[in-house]
Amino acid sequence: MTQRFAPDRPAHIGQPHLRRNALRHLAGRGAYVSDLALPRMVHAAFLRSPMAHGRITALDLDEARAAPGVIAVYSAADLNPMCQGWTGVLSHFAGMTSPAQSILADQEVLWVGHPVAMVIARTRAEAEDACEKILLDIDDLPAVAGFAPALDPDMPAAAEASASNLCFRAELKTEGAAAAFDGAALVVEGEWRFGRHTAVTLEPRAVVADYDPASGQLTVHHGTQTPFQFQDVYARQFGLPDNRVRVISPDVGGSFGMKLHLYHEEMATVAASLKLHRPVRFVADRLESFTSDIHARDHKVKARMALDGQGQVLAMEVLDRTLIGPYSTYPRTSVAEGNQVIRLMGAPYAMPDYHGVLEVLFQNKVQTSQYRAVGHPIAVQVTEALIDLAAEKLGLDPFEMRARNVVADDAYPCASATGYRFEKLSHQESLRRLRALMDYDGLRAEQAALREKGIHRGIGLATFVEITNPGAAFYGVGGARISAQDGAVVRLTPGGEAHCAISVTEQGQGTETIIAQIVADQLGLTPDQVKVVTGDTDATPSGGATWACRGAGIGGETALRAGRKLAEQLCRIAGAILQAAPESLALRGGAVVDAATGAERLALAELARIATYRPDTLPEGTDNSLSVAQHFAPQGYPFGFTNGVQAAWVEVDTETGLVKLLKHWVVEDCGRIINPLLVDEQIRGGVVQGLGAALYEECLYDDAGQLLNGSLADYLVPMAGEMPDILIGHVETPTEDTILGAKGVGEAGTAAAGAAVMNAVNDALRPFGARLCQTPMTPARILAALGIGPTERDETWN
Amino acid sequence: MELTGSHSLTQPPETVWRALFDPEVLARAIPGCETLAQTSDDAFAATVKLKIGPVSARFKGEVELADKEPPFACTLSGKGSGGIAGFAKGAARVTLAPEGTGTVLSYTAEAALGGKLAALGSRLIQATAAKLADEFFTRFADVLNETTTTATTD
Repeated sequence: MTQRFAPDRPAHIGQPHLRRNALRHLAGRGAYVSDLALPRMVHAAFLRSPMAHGRITALDLDEARAAPGVIAVYSAADLNPMCQGWTGVLSHFAGMTSPAQSILADQEVLWVGHPVAMVIARTRAEAEDACEKILLDIDDLPAVAGFAPALDPDMPAAAEASASNLCFRAELKTEGAAAAFDGAALVVEGEWRFGRHTAVTLEPRAVVADYDPASGQLTVHHGTQTPFQFQDVYARQFGLPDNRVRVISPDVGGSFGMKLHLYHEEMATVAASLKLHRPVRFVADRLESFTSDIHARDHKVKARMALDGQGQVLAMEVLDRTLIGPYSTYPRTSVAEGNQVIRLMGAPYAMPDYHGVLEVLFQNKVQTSQYRAVGHPIAVQVTEALIDLAAEKLGLDPFEMRARNVVADDAYPCASATGYRFEKLSHQESLRRLRALMDYDGLRAEQAALREKGIHRGIGLATFVEITNPGAAFYGVGGARISAQDGAVVRLTPGGEAHCAISVTEQGQGTETIIAQIVADQLGLTPDQVKVVTGDTDATPSGGATWACRGAGIGGETALRAGRKLAEQLCRIAGAILQAAPESLALRGGAVVDAATGAERLALAELARIATYRPDTLPEGTDNSLSVAQHFAPQGYPFGFTNGVQAAWVEVDTETGLVKLLKHWVVEDCGRIINPLLVDEQIRGGVVQGLGAALYEECLYDDAGQLLNGSLADYLVPMAGEMPDILIGHVETPTEDTILGAKGVGEAGTAAAGAAVMNAVNDALRPFGARLCQTPMTPARILAALGIGPTERDETWN
Repeated sequence: MELTGSHSLTQPPETVWRALFDPEVLARAIPGCETLAQTSDDAFAATVKLKIGPVSARFKGEVELADKEPPFACTLSGKGSGGIAGFAKGAARVTLAPEGTGTVLSYTAEAALGGKLAALGSRLIQATAAKLADEFFTRFADVLNETTTTATTD
């Protein structure tokens, strides 16, 4: 067994170090791809389909080619043959199907925004002007837009290459599921609708592709969270050796899962650079972001829960239907979200039986795929709404209801009815902490007192389980070339400082800060003595980078092991210099010390000087290496699950339907906390994104598949002024799978914030007999639930 | 989106009917009309420049007439492509009813937008369409009055 992390040692791990890139960003010294200007760089703009589904009958590029400043105009005929098509299916999603994708629309357009032609010009403005001069004629085909047409067997498929609109179906069933419902004392049920929303990153998608034919080198500056994945994609798709493809991801202005999918525009930009032998830049504008960035959610869930007379959950039965795009997204697919929805249902609870069905349906809207908290908000919202319904029917307090049902803290390891294996979670302790943190009993008293005055406040609770630290079981086993491992090179500089080049990336979440803390502790340095380099496939070993809350748990462990390996090597060199046994030495305070007494033996700077400039003075045969490389892949549990519970305190104006968020609490257990400041930042940011989905954000389409709110004037995002104070508490249950013991935290806030708020709104509305079951909970929908105005479900339900 | 409206005109249905199919009258009455040509007995091709919300676009399109019941009713349908701005399409049933010596022109129209126009202009389209319809009929009435006045003087 590897030596465990020892928290009693003076350490930087666990300390609230400030995010090291924050000052640089505040000073306006961020380095974003959007701001990059290279010599001879040209700009791309796309002509996009204005129709959701149709057949191209005419495409005339001649006038655009002659327009001022235009360097090239490309159609599918020019670009598509340059690369292989890509198909977003994985073999572990048995039976899933999807049409292949190619760079530009060829004959058939499949959603509003589908790129049809690409213009390259000296400036973006000239490229856009030339797009105006392209003659494009499209004959309408029936558009699949919404559940009704997607489920209609007489409706043609969203893409002519598809046999039907069913992309994937999955079913999970325990033997006792049906019997559990037959024997139940109580069955509660409902149907929920989760609107489509998207990432709305501050910096839109940005790419500058730069092919140099003299060296055969393709350099792609790409605002992504997975540079190695794109190195592999560009190399394979365009037939280049992967060591001749360099992807550089400097500062990225928000990614949230949206920037790890393969997009047509990025492929077109690379293709254009390969053709033109000069740098080509594409940066999406806001409307392009709305019509070409992946969207998320768009689910409709029917679910019921069986309970015994004491309120013990016996089973759940779930039908989740989700509408994706005309094809499944590459390389992670568009079915992973639904797959997680049906597997995360009831996850916090000791629920013996389960029956879940997932149906993933094609339609003519922009594709959907992984976005922060993939599937979690849906599973949590449905489960927690049913728990509240059951508590109401049984006359139990929601806290008591959850306390009776969560898996006991001493019952681990265990597995869920849906097949997830849990190493060790802390639901009971989290509930206890939350109850104290929020003064639950005081709030209930306040709620009752305010009811008397006609003020309607509600308390909502939501327990959750989050998937983090995924191993290759996530994608790799299905054939995806997505790395579940990471790599680091750590070295001591000739001046005695440290340098760590690591494959996990910095998306603003503080990766570089925690890596510096971890490496510093292994080398007896301070974090500011550790320079961390990320986001460049030529500069760091290959690895998975940023997705599925793996940076701290997997990247952190990689850094820790690399740091330890270097520490051992430094002690060997020091041992040779000092004529001491390496095991008797340790690194502390920037020096090699006697491990037993702590007495300084040799400054690291002196060790580095000798090893670098006077290796001739070392005993013969001494390895003077000051660099080590280390890779790490999670073993043991396929996923590192975390858990927590959230609570929301809201006030609903029953005349206007407006919801005021008064306060929000989160108690979270992400294992070893490396930096409490950054963990709290992650939770708060995640909560805000969850609240956005619950109350404001929705991509609205008409029944012809036209997006109706493609600007920030019409698409609402949560603003600071609407956000409540978010109080956070922690339970720390390190994973035994690694030395570091850290798990992920980036999606925890988003996982359950919406569920807590929906339960709180419904708690506030309980005296009115009104209940919300659609997100976002807009004022109109709240008023409809209250029987004010049109009470029919609006067209967005279908 | 559905639009309905009616306008009173001082001319009898027969005069209004003729004007409705007169390219010169239409070119002057249609807001933003740059070109208008009759391509067959029942079809016109037009270029119209419009601004809907934040989006300006030059639409090239065709309008067809169908279900004619001279001089009382007809259906106009058309589709205009606005390049990167998207497209607009729609159909309107127009009826002319005698009222004293004049005519009441009523219409029921269905219109749809696509592409950038839909994404950015949906919130404003109802108001814009109502304004455009109003502008059309005001100008149409003006042109009619002018031509009929000229005719009388001649």
